[in-house]
Amino acid sequence: MRLIIRNDAAEVGEYIGNYIAKRINTFKPTAEKPFVLGLPTGSSPIPTYKHLIGLVKAGKLSFKHVITFNMDEYVGLPEDHPESYHTFMFRELFSHIDIDPANVHILNGNAPDLIAECKAYEEAITKVGGIEFFLAGIGEDGHIAFNEPGSSLVSKTRIKTLAYDTILANARFFNNDISLVPRMALTVGVATVLAAREVAVVVTGQRKSLALSKAIEEGVNHLTTLSALQMHPWALIVADEDATAELHVKTVKYFKSIERVQEEVEETQARINGQVGGD
Amino acid sequence: MSTSGEQDNGLVCFTNCFLPLEDGTLVERDLWIDAEKGVILDAQRTFYTGRRRPKKVIDLQGNILSPGFIDVQINGAYGFDFSIYDGDDDKYEAGLKMVAERIVETGVTSLLPTVITQERSLYPKLLSLLHPHSFPSSANLLGWHAEGPFLQGSKRGAHAQSFLVNAPAGLKSIEEVYGKDNLAAGEDNSVRVITAAPELEGLMESIGPLSEQGVIFSIGHSTASSRVATAAVRCGARLVTHLFNAMPQLHHRDPSIIGLLGAGGPHSSSLPPTPSHSKKSSLSLVSGALSAKSVRGGGTEALTEGPSAFGTPGGSASPMGANAKSDLHAQIVALGESLEGREAFQRPYYGIIVDGIHSHPNSVRLAYTAHPEGCILVTDAMAMLDPHLPDGVHEWRDGKRLVKNGERLFIEGTDTLAGSVVTMDTCVRKFKVFTSTSIGQAILCATYNPAKCLGIENKKGTLRGNADADFVVLSHEGKVLSTWVAGREVWKKA
Repeated sequence: MRLIIRNDAAEVGEYIGNYIAKRINTFKPTAEKPFVLGLPTGSSPIPTYKHLIGLVKAGKLSFKHVITFNMDEYVGLPEDHPESYHTFMFRELFSHIDIDPANVHILNGNAPDLIAECKAYEEAITKVGGIEFFLAGIGEDGHIAFNEPGSSLVSKTRIKTLAYDTILANARFFNNDISLVPRMALTVGVATVLAAREVAVVVTGQRKSLALSKAIEEGVNHLTTLSALQMHPWALIVADEDATAELHVKTVKYFKSIERVQEEVEETQARINGQVGGD
Repeated sequence: MSTSGEQDNGLVCFTNCFLPLEDGTLVERDLWIDAEKGVILDAQRTFYTGRRRPKKVIDLQGNILSPGFIDVQINGAYGFDFSIYDGDDDKYEAGLKMVAERIVETGVTSLLPTVITQERSLYPKLLSLLHPHSFPSSANLLGWHAEGPFLQGSKRGAHAQSFLVNAPAGLKSIEEVYGKDNLAAGEDNSVRVITAAPELEGLMESIGPLSEQGVIFSIGHSTASSRVATAAVRCGARLVTHLFNAMPQLHHRDPSIIGLLGAGGPHSSSLPPTPSHSKKSSLSLVSGALSAKSVRGGGTEALTEGPSAFGTPGGSASPMGANAKSDLHAQIVALGESLEGREAFQRPYYGIIVDGIHSHPNSVRLAYTAHPEGCILVTDAMAMLDPHLPDGVHEWRDGKRLVKNGERLFIEGTDTLAGSVVTMDTCVRKFKVFTSTSIGQAILCATYNPAKCLGIENKKGTLRGNADADFVVLSHEGKVLSTWVAGREVWKKA
């Protein structure tokens, strides 16, 4: 696992945005060989989306042959509700980029048969050859997607009841009335995320710092589902300085020292493969 | 403007533009339309459910994409007068078409041709010609606005005294003048607006029935006292015609029609204009004749049973005098007042001519400050309206000539104003300056507010999904850059 530390949320967004663009451009996706991208919602990825939009508008990136799968959606919330993840994704990303609507996948929280919906979602991921790159954020309790503390670390897409903490945290989006906050969601499982060939997690703000510490400085534990990332062969966490507040100085120093090394390795590899990497 | 994209799928995305929202703010956001159907799209629904996104993208370069302007009071333009019909239907139709085609350069995409007081027998024919029209590549004609002939003589302005009438048989009289079919709500969703003086015989009792069939009653050319004006609004009047003009000036003890802009407080209409005519006493006059039930249903019968001797439209009525004159008048006021309390008092919309001449800038600011949501910009323009017409002397009618000096139009050799020749886009810019408001708020007064008044805010004057794709692209200073009707560009600044 790598941990990249940047000064603030905007720099994190710029870094991870460039990183995703580089992955997509190096992949050279076509209609026959699309790039499959997993996407999160929430405040953490917004700077990343902003940067991606800028790259698309500048002609440096295209989503024409990118297929997306979103992590989660509330159950029972109308698709056009201002707080639905459909609305979020359209507002923050999809409306601004050149993605084909047919390539966008978001779980349907209003499906008559929710279990069938989840099963079909996993099948759709498998059908396109699995997820190439999964971008994620985390909750204050270290949850990834809606895999709340205590979730199985080998879980697949399914219905989840939201933790009380998450409901409280979401109440600000529903007139501060917790009775209006949806109680259930459909979400990809921890194993669905870990099945991606590469996983990158955005962690910004001091409120996420304890979760980050637990996820990377302690053992794999279902109470901090992000910690399962330790089992992934190609994982990246991008954090801002605030989010490192609970980390040991030694941890921070270590990851800072290996950042440059990783870049050198990648550059060498690109030369060997005769590719012009990057954007 | 630049376009990009491969094959066209009929959808268009306007990007790099500011959208004026219904709360007066401007937001930088894309807008999607279906250019084939000529409607605005609910973009998110189109994306997820329709699985479509526009192939064609139009970069508006940071300008404002506003709903097209709506003018609810315009007498003519480019030399054609909506009130002049010489028996030739084709000629009249051609005139309508010409105005509709040319007016788009002023940002207007919908207008309500306004007919001033005519000899009464002309109305049925004239109004039937003014059904809704959508000529290709031109502004929409929404229906008609009949300014007269039920006007108060002393406030008739340029209207011919000899043609003014009142309505002794109430609604029946009004139907006789305009034509019953013209007044009825048809399948063509025609907009019908009547400017009339509610204090005239037979008018007040007709407001309710007219409103029920969708006719918009606008108070104008009237000497209505505060009580009469308030009662008219309670009966259903929803508009005031060219505020400040052809009505009593604002008197603090009886602010008359203008005072409606301050109405709706807890005291509302209950403040009597004179101690001798308190609400209580006027109500008691009719307490026997008017039960709550009869007011709701056929309440007008109780009123028409009364003596027919009634204020003449001759023009002798004064704001206070009208009230004092007859018991019947008190009954009519009571009709309105008895509706009080059923629901919150809704202040009427008001049309206002913001050419800087027909209303002083301070008056415009005063009205807008008092009732911003009710403000509707109107040009009230005459046939001389033509932004290309140079200043100087121009032939008029009856051998008279007019002198045009900017937005001012005088009868030659006099200092008599001959009417307005202001364009709607000029009104928007002037309004913004006079009221120190934002361009977004000024736009509302030429788009969403008139649409709401006419009850067409789901289709016009808005950027909601499924509304008609009628737009004016404005610079941030309010200059018209291009005009679009039903999703097609119909005019572009050279």
